[in-house]
Amino acid sequence: MEKNTKDIEQALRKILSGSVDSSVDLASETDFVSDLGLESIQVLEFIMEVEEHFDIAIDLESLSDVRTVGELTKVVAAAIQD
Amino acid sequence: MDKVDLLDKFKKVAANRDQLSAVGRDPTSIVIDRIISPTEAIIDGKPTILVGTNNYLGLTFDPECVAAGQTALEESGTGTTGSRMANGSYAPHLALERELADFYEVGHAMVFSTGYAANLGTMAALVNTGDVVVLDADAHASLYDGCRMSGGSVYRFRHNDMNSLANRLRRLQDKASRTLIVVEGLYSVLGDRAPLREIVALKREYGAHLLVDEAHSLGIYGAHGRGVCEELGVMDDVDFIVGTFSKSLGATGGFCASKHEVLALFRYASRPYIFTASGNPSVIATTRAALRQLQARPELRQKLRDNAKHLYDGLQALGLQLGADVSPVIAVRFERSEDAARTWEKLLEAGIYTNLFVPPATPDGTSLLRCSVSAAHTSEQIDTILNRFRDAIQPLKARAANAD
Repeated sequence: MEKNTKDIEQALRKILSGSVDSSVDLASETDFVSDLGLESIQVLEFIMEVEEHFDIAIDLESLSDVRTVGELTKVVAAAIQD
Repeated sequence: MDKVDLLDKFKKVAANRDQLSAVGRDPTSIVIDRIISPTEAIIDGKPTILVGTNNYLGLTFDPECVAAGQTALEESGTGTTGSRMANGSYAPHLALERELADFYEVGHAMVFSTGYAANLGTMAALVNTGDVVVLDADAHASLYDGCRMSGGSVYRFRHNDMNSLANRLRRLQDKASRTLIVVEGLYSVLGDRAPLREIVALKREYGAHLLVDEAHSLGIYGAHGRGVCEELGVMDDVDFIVGTFSKSLGATGGFCASKHEVLALFRYASRPYIFTASGNPSVIATTRAALRQLQARPELRQKLRDNAKHLYDGLQALGLQLGADVSPVIAVRFERSEDAARTWEKLLEAGIYTNLFVPPATPDGTSLLRCSVSAAHTSEQIDTILNRFRDAIQPLKARAANAD
């Protein structure tokens, strides 16, 4: 299981690449909505896959400000610590 | 950087609306010129059969309900002009609460001014900071909003997926005892039901509490019409039942019923209960009359079941893709959203009103037409609906045949 930030981000990009056009370059600052055009329901589905992959639970409240891969990495890292 | 204006956000709203209109008729701007009966209206000057109204028992024009409303209007006036906390409850508010508690055989019930307020008000009172909600991902927006208002931590589990729910509860460890599991009896878009026996088993295993929203199942399932909880024999294990008067009871308002005595204290802790006007006397009166009808006329439930099966079997015979459960909520799925939109529009032109759902409003990202069946539909009306569906999907069938 990925523990450090770099590995977590790598895993997130891999999961995310399943939901979007593979030609899009996924970076830390890639915004799910404005850059990738994901609908809110697709973001929620992506988050569910992330929770299952890491066997963590992410509180909806902590997702309210998350827009990018980098921001989600921090949330996932915190949830793994719990 | 350009300054952002407060009103800029509506450009995106307008763009979304225009996208809806681009397929033809905007489904969000339908005007019912005149409502004629639970199943008929004049839309665009045309007689139309309604099969998208949630009017499950068809009680909106029931003579006893109408008479009860008229009497209350004459005797008690048009409105209560304030909240129950400040202005006081009218005796019929309390009578309705007693009748609901008796109907569910649970001892306690509380009435709210809308179904939305019932969900917000129940969750806001019940869940606070430090508590946890574990919510089915397909739950209604009012339940999501209730979560937000509650201040508790909120975790979603995959729709009707018991492994996903068990995983959530397992991870909560000590917090499971202060956790509320939130599900619906009958899900309002796809028409599938919650596996409540399995959910109750998990609730027991982890020592959590359970809230079931029976908005679309009150009056439809169970020997007494109490809902899916009764149908599946789990009434004793459900902590809180919430629901609405606006579907099978043909009024407006909502409720929470519970075996827990603390429900009486929700009145002091629920902002959506405290800070809003109470239900109008006429609305409370028609709700009470409809609840009596629901109990006195089990044949309405039988007729509804027969009608649902008639429509479901007919749509299936047309080769349409439906949900697995036969229920009064029948979702007809389409692979392309433009096919759903065109079929919806053709049906409307042919005098059949259904509900169009396209992403992101659909739970699993598909596009669908939702039909809601009523006990008031005649067999002939259902045959007409099926004939119009057959005509409306003709171009799709022709296209599929050409592609083969």
